[in-house]
Formats: sequence, structure tokens, C-alpha cells
Amino acid sequence: MSLEPMLPRPRIPYGTWGSSYFPAWQQSALAEVNIGQFAGEAAGRIYGRRKVPVSAIDYLVIGSTVPWHWKFWTAPLVSACFGRRVPGYHVEQACATGLQAVLLAGAEVQAGREVVGVVTFDRTSDSPVGVFPERRAHQRTQAIADVWDNFGFDPATSRAMIATAGNAARKYGLDRREVDELALYRHQQYFDTLESGFLDRILVPLEVLGVNGRSIGRVDADAGVRPLTAAALAAMRELDRCVTSGTQTHASDGMATLLVTSREQARALSPRPEIDVQFVAKAEVRVAPAMMPEAPAEAVKALLQRTGLSLDDIAVMKNHNPFAVNDALFAKSLGCDWRTMNRTGSPLVWGHPQGPTLTRVLIEGLEEAVDLGGGFVLVFGCAAGDVGIAALFQVSEGGN
Amino acid sequence: MTLATTANAPITSLRASTLSTLGLGSPLDCFRRGRLPMTPEEAVSAVFGPPDRRGSLVISGASGIVGAGKTMQLGSRLEPFGVRVVALDMPGAPDGIGRQYPGLVRAFGRDGADRVMSNITRLTYDGKSLPPQLREFDPRFLLEAIPEILDVKRSHYEAFRAEYPDLEIRSVTSGFPARELGVGVAHPAFPHEINKMWEMVEEPGRDEPSKIPALLWALGLVPVPVADHWSFVLDVIFCGVTQAAIRYHRASNMPYWKIDKWVRKILGPNPFRAHDAIGAKGANFLTWSCLQHLGEHYGELFTPTTELVERKESGQNWYPPNHLRPMVDWELDAAEQAELRAWLVGPMVQMASLMLEEERAHPALANAIGETCAQLSHGVLALARGLGLEGSRQVVSDYHQLHPAAAEGAWFPEALTALDGPAGQQLYVNAEHDGTVGSLTLSREAYNWDVDAELNRAIDWLKAEGIERVILSGDFHLATQLVGADTAEFFPALDDEEQGYRVSHAWSTTARRLHDEFATSVAFLHGKRCLGGMLELVLHCHYVVAESSVSLGFPEITLPVVPGMEGCHWPFRRTTADHWPRLSELLFSGRPVKAALAEGWLIDRAAPLDEALASAWELATGDGIDRRPLAEGAVETSALAAAPEGAAAAAIHGTIVASLSVPLAEALEQQSRHSGRFMPSPECRGGVVGQTRNRVERV
Repeated sequence: MSLEPMLPRPRIPYGTWGSSYFPAWQQSALAEVNIGQFAGEAAGRIYGRRKVPVSAIDYLVIGSTVPWHWKFWTAPLVSACFGRRVPGYHVEQACATGLQAVLLAGAEVQAGREVVGVVTFDRTSDSPVGVFPERRAHQRTQAIADVWDNFGFDPATSRAMIATAGNAARKYGLDRREVDELALYRHQQYFDTLESGFLDRILVPLEVLGVNGRSIGRVDADAGVRPLTAAALAAMRELDRCVTSGTQTHASDGMATLLVTSREQARALSPRPEIDVQFVAKAEVRVAPAMMPEAPAEAVKALLQRTGLSLDDIAVMKNHNPFAVNDALFAKSLGCDWRTMNRTGSPLVWGHPQGPTLTRVLIEGLEEAVDLGGGFVLVFGCAAGDVGIAALFQVSEGGN
Repeated sequence: MTLATTANAPITSLRASTLSTLGLGSPLDCFRRGRLPMTPEEAVSAVFGPPDRRGSLVISGASGIVGAGKTMQLGSRLEPFGVRVVALDMPGAPDGIGRQYPGLVRAFGRDGADRVMSNITRLTYDGKSLPPQLREFDPRFLLEAIPEILDVKRSHYEAFRAEYPDLEIRSVTSGFPARELGVGVAHPAFPHEINKMWEMVEEPGRDEPSKIPALLWALGLVPVPVADHWSFVLDVIFCGVTQAAIRYHRASNMPYWKIDKWVRKILGPNPFRAHDAIGAKGANFLTWSCLQHLGEHYGELFTPTTELVERKESGQNWYPPNHLRPMVDWELDAAEQAELRAWLVGPMVQMASLMLEEERAHPALANAIGETCAQLSHGVLALARGLGLEGSRQVVSDYHQLHPAAAEGAWFPEALTALDGPAGQQLYVNAEHDGTVGSLTLSREAYNWDVDAELNRAIDWLKAEGIERVILSGDFHLATQLVGADTAEFFPALDDEEQGYRVSHAWSTTARRLHDEFATSVAFLHGKRCLGGMLELVLHCHYVVAESSVSLGFPEITLPVVPGMEGCHWPFRRTTADHWPRLSELLFSGRPVKAALAEGWLIDRAAPLDEALASAWELATGDGIDRRPLAEGAVETSALAAAPEGAAAAAIHGTIVASLSVPLAEALEQQSRHSGRFMPSPECRGGVVGQTRNRVERV
């Protein structure tokens, strides 16, 4: 399979991206805000830091999964919050949202847009209560908490999200000790990365204001993330096969943003125009019911087959891993060492705000590739509905 | 003995007085003649005819924001003289005049408001032909306040000219020069009901100055002659600072609300808040219109950005609506702050160079317009002067690095050298003399470091000219009152006692020069009030003469601060202990007293205006007239009543006792130490000064 594209490949201008920290739900001022407004204002701040005038942006793709006040007004409202009201639309695909939004922004560039902003966000804290009239049902209305009740029940399979991890662990014969070891390693990777200052290039501290204009808190940490020990992990109650509170992610709040554009515009916007970050390919699959952690591996296989690449060709692998099972399964399925992936941290550790999760994963992967001097960046993950998504990017060069 | 030799002697000035730009002579003339250059009755008669044949004022577009405001401002002043006001507008125009009634009631009481309103006749017209009944009102002066569309304005003038060839016409236009309009300009400043300042351009081709500026001056307003250039002075500055702020938004993405706070901290105004307060739809259009014209003539410094164009068309506010109150704060590191400063200050200095190059107004006036009407904490010329020539060029250079297109026009670095001359050095204080008597005139209502430096230079000049007799007063033009110290100068002292000591000591030292370095010094006070630091300043003169209605007071305790320019001992030393309770009442209550009631214990004479002017001249030219003694030794303070409750009262009381208990030579030190010590106190930091600092400096 040729890597030659039919249309010019969209580009992501290096160094124009950023993300908020992802504090765990209810642990920061983000629990208090309209997350759509916050994301718009934070995006303006991040672009400002990156010396990108919002006047350069002519379209916006936003991504989120948890309903928020005024979501009906989609991208024009979010962009109004960063000071330039542009057209655009809203993307929602559960935990694939953060990557899907980027890929769709690429399609917009191929369709002729100059510079497309991607702003993904979610506030899982106090996830809204949805009321869904069901006129045929005995119970005419039903109230649900958007995050928790959806995690607990896939209407198509009648299974909970956590059950998919247990099912996959059983199918692949995963071992609790290995999964615990993986979770511990992922935490160590995160704290090492934090210590190195790598995340300072990505995460932007943000002061959150109350309605009176006074600070109600500073979002400057992935609040809620704590170091683990092997003993503590081993002592945790198993909720399903290989799933404990230490080997699964936690709900969090946050936003992330990047730009998608042409090669020429990317050169103009990036502080390091010599670095070329381009889209290469995408794959998306669905696996058997209630086997969600298997889906990313299958998506990657499909992507590699389509591109003719092997994992040996990949410089950076980043997996959205709500369960440690996902990484263990992937390594077993594709015959690789899970230690070689998610080297700068992953959602298993820093949380799961849904919409922006894979956007931050992607940004971390691209930064890591630049540090490595370039190469292919493989970003993948699972999403509700037993879906897996994978996308390949190429970073031309870089280095510290 | 009165010196007779000075009555008609030629006057020498440190720089030209601003009063002379109105053709009204100089402040020293007012004293020499014992009267102001013109009475309101004389000025009204000159424009509207004698009392038995008074014509009327017509305001077209009277229902608009400007028209309605000026209908109130001029209507309330002309009603006592029997000048009828005709408010002309299109049928269906929203009622802007009726909305003014509550404000009139607050200002003049119900009866007064009813009188003003009853004197206004509203007429409508179709925009083409004038209503026939207008002739009954005998129009003498048309103030045109119709929309900012040149063709519409011109045809409006033609209609009036055809009917009333001798009519004085002035446009309130904010942008078009008189040469484009074909009529003179009287451009007022917001808020139109109360802002007294008007930029004035005479009708093109007129040889003699008209009577309109003198009319406005005599009615207590502040007409300011400006040159006939696009947007004159005020709107160059105000639209220019708005444009600079928008450009910073373009460069940084910082939201407008946040930029507004930085502009307030660095320069003084809130341009975006002001647009929203005035009414974004109209204000955005006017700002765009001015910038559009300026851009065409002067280039990118002024060319409107797309953000302004969009808001001009949408009328959208700059601040977010209440339901989208800002959520993410913006912090700036040192480098970002330096860049922001270049984006904001650079254009201001560039505009200052344009003002000087084109001589758009007397420098003191150009500077004052920015402070009085655009909320600048320092006028554009004072700002550039404060930076120095090199500093000014550097900040413009920094700005041009960020915005290279702005360097292509309207930048006259050489023009800034004019700030080194007397006109540039004396923006707030002037001096003149006739060979024997000198005058020192203040044109800034609040005392600050600039005023202090200029007052010292003016005193030096008079001394060098050999003048031993001096009258200190307002300038009869820009300063219609003297309100006290500019409390912004106290902000550093809230964190540092030594800064408080420094300001108190330096300003008191200047004040003492009025007492120590002249054989005779007379302070003359007129207008509404003389308060706080300004009162302390003038009390250092050997004599203080005031118009009877002037309010005098020490409001420091209400802030609270300790009066720092020797107010806590100097007036006590100049009167007997039986008057001390009155001084204590002034200091401890903060309530003012009318000059008529302060004669003999606080000031020396109070009289109606003309009489007070003559009295000041008499004292200045006289020899040894009843000078109240100044106790120079330590003063026994047992007669002083105990301090009222409260930390500020205790501090003021302590200052009085400490500074009276030492000889005069040591009292300044005591006063300054006590004043400085109170500044960082919780009471002062939590008071008006501290709160103001928080509001101004918290971004």
C-alpha cells in the first residue's frame, strides 16, 4: 500500500498546541465552570502563548461528549469565547472524540479551509442529568447522570464499560500481576515525565475566575494523580478480571487544542517551521460486543496493513488506555513490549475527561517524536460501542 | 501703599497662557483689571442679542446622545438669560430629551428642572426643509448634532444658510475638519451633560474670531481652540488608544476586558468600557469613522482593524455579556508586559509627535484634553515628556518592531524636541509678570509630581526675572476648581513609608517657597472648591483671597490620609487658638466650609468675584497690609481638643501635636514623617486610596 495521499496532507503546526491540566473530577475550579466557555477562553490564552493570533483561524471543530449549557451553539460560541466568531461544528464520538475531531479538521483543510482550530473539552464533574422522555415506556421520563450511567450501561449490549475490560482480560488470558506491574510502570512514566519538564511544553496553567472576577482556583496540576506502590496495587479489590481502581482511569475535567492547516500555513504559524507534522492515515474498527479493549489493537492492525508499515517503523506509540488491560492486550496481540509505548504518560494515569483525552495524547506523542528527531507517531484508543480508532502522523524532524 | 507702576506694563510670560488662545487676555490681566474679561451677560448678548431682542439656540439632532446632552448643558445655562432653545429632530426620533429630566432634577431641583425644560421647544422637520415656525424663535446659533455623514451635514447647513445667512453654525462632529464641513466645529466630550470641554474650530475663511468660544467660556464651559485637522485632538487620542488596544488583541488574543484593565493601569482610560457605556453601536461607528479618515491621511497607525469594522457593523459590545462573564484570567510575564507596553505606549507617543508636528493645539490644551476627556492619567505630551526624548523614540521603535506598517506615517520624532521648550515643560503651570507682580497659574485641578516640578520651574523663572510679588491662582480656563492631591501619587506609599515621606516632604518644600521666597504672595481662589493638598499649598501664601462661594476643606480624613503638605500645623500657626476648633472641625470632619465663613482664621479675604480679584491685586501690589502672623516657634497645644475616635483621627491629631510642638523649621520633617507613616496603615490601605489602587492596578 502506498503512503502517497490523494489529497495534500493536512499539517499540524508544531508548537502551536496546548492543553489544560486534567484535574480529577470535583477536585478543581473546573468543576464550577461552563466547560465550553472555559475551553474557548483557554484556547485563546494558549494560542496567545504560542503567538498564534486567533484572527488566523477561519474554522473550528469542537469535540465534547458531556452536555454543557448552550452546546446548541457549538463552534461559533466556543470561538466567540476566544475572540473570533468562526463557523464550525461539534464532534462527538465518546473517547475517540479528541482524535476524530483532529482528523475531521484535516478533512476541512483538504476541502479548502486555511486554518482549522480543534478545541476539545469535557467536564465530567457534575455531569448533567439527562431527561429522556420515552413515550412508549411505563416510566415516561428517566433521569440519568450522563457520565456514570452511560459507563454503567451500553444499551446495545446491556453491559457496563468495566465489563468489557474483564471480558477482554479473560479472552486474552491476562495476568493480574502483569497488569498491576503495567499500571505501576505507567505511573512511574508519568511522574518521570512531569519531573523532566516535558509537560511544561504542552500543559498551560490557567487561573479560573468566578462571576465576580476573582480567582476561584488555579488549574496547574493533574490533580488527583498520586504515586502508586506495587503493594498498594496488589491489595486493591478486583472489580472484574484484572480491573481494580488502580488499573483503570478516573473521570477528570479539561480541554486541549491544536491547529490543522496546510504546509504553507503551518510554516507561517509554527515557531519551528522546519518541523513538518503531517497526517498519514486513519483506521477505525468495531469488535465483538463488550470487547472494547480489543478494538484499538484491531484498529492498529488495520492501519498497519493499509499503510504497509510495521510497528518497527513507528517512533512513538500512544494508546488511550482507560484500563491497563488495554495496553497489556495490545502488546500481546501485536507482539510488542508495552514498556515502549505511552512513554510520557497516558490517560490511565492522568485521567479521562473524554472529549480532550486523545487530543492531549496526540500532542504528547508529537512532542515526543520531535524529541526523538522525528518519525511516525501512532495514536490509538478505544471508544464506547466497542470501537477502536487509530491514526498515523509523521514528524519530519526535530530533536531537542 | 499701592504700586502704581504696574497697571499697564507689558506682560512677559513663561509661555503663552491658554486663556489668550480664546482672545481673552491673560490671567494677570484679570487681576489688573479687577474683573474677568467678559461677563456671561456680555457674552450672551454678543451672540443672541440684547435682552429685549434675544434670539435662540437651535440644536439639530437634539434627541441623540450628543444633542440631548448638550441641550441640557447649554439649556440650563442659557435659560436664566432668556435664551430660548429649539430642539430640532426628525419625526419618530427616540425621545432623548425627556430622559434627561431626572438628571436635571438632581442638579437643579424640580422647579429648576421645570424651568429648563419649559424653555426648550421641540420641533420636527423632514431633514430637507426647515419648519416655518422656526422663524418665530429668531435663531442665532445652530449647534448641529446630526449623524456623521458629510453630505447630510452639508445639505443641512445649506438649508439653514438659505433661511438665516448670519446664523452661527457649529458642528459637534467628532471627525470632519471644518474645511470639509464648511462650518465651524464645537466638538464636545462625553459625558455630554456634564463634560465642560469643547474642541473649537472657527468657520473656514473667517478673519475675526467668532464670539462662540467666549460665550462658552463665560457660561462656565471650557472651550479649547484646536487646529483644523482630521479628528482634532480628543478623537485622535481616544480613537487612537482604542485602536492600539485592539491591535494588541490581534497580536496576543488577550480579551478586550483584560486589555481594558491593562490600558487603565498603564495609561488611564478604559477604552472598551467607555465604548460600551456610551453605546457600542454609535461609539463603534464614530471610532471607526475617525480612524478611517485618519488612516487615509496618516496610514497604518490609525487604519481600523477588521475587529473594529465588524463591531462597527454589528454594534456588538466589547465586554462579554453578563452570562459569559470572563472565566480564564490572563497573566503576563515580564517580557509579555514589556511587549504590551510597547503596543500601547508606542502609539501614544507617536500621536504626541503628530500633535506637536501639526500644532493641533496649544501644548497645555492638547495635553489637558487627554486627561480631562480621555481619562489619561498623564496627557499624551506629559507622557512623552516623562519618557524623555530617547525613551520616547525607543518605545516607538519597539512598537514599530511589532507593527512595522505604523512606521510608514505620522511619526515625527523631531517634533518631540518641542517638549524641551517652555511650552512643553510647562503643561500645567504657567507664570507671567508685568515687571513687578507675577502670577503663577495652575491648569491641573489635582496636584501631582508634574505640577510640583512645573511649579518649581515657574517659581525659579519668576525669581530669575526679579519678581518678588506673586499671585497664585487657577488659570481661569482649564482649572475651574482645585481638588487636592492626585491620590494616584500615593500608591507607592501604601507599601513604603519612605515614599509617603518623600511625597509629603517634597511637595511641602515647594509650598514653602511661596512663603519664603517672595516678599508678597497672594493666593486667589475662585470656582467651586479648593480642597486638600491644593488648599494646603495656597495656605502657604502670605494672603489667601477667595470668591465667597468657594468651598474650602480638608477631606483627607474621609480617604483617609494624613494631610501631608503642612495642613496639620501651618493653618494653626497662622491663627489664634480660639480659632483652632474650626480648623479641627475641618480636619476631623472632612466637611468643607464656604470661603465667606472662613475669613480671618483660614483665609484673609472673601468677596464677590470682581471684588476678590481687585482685592488680590491690592494685596499683591500693596505694602504691609494686615498680614496674619505665622508662629515660627514651638506652639503650645494644650488648647487643642482631644482627637475624635478612629485611627485616622488619632493619626491626624498626633501629627498636629507633633508638628506644632517643634519650631517651624522642624515642623515640615515632623509632618512628613507622620504623613508617610500613616500611608501603609491598614486604615489607609483599606480606604479610598487603597481601593482605588486596587481598582486601577489590579489587572
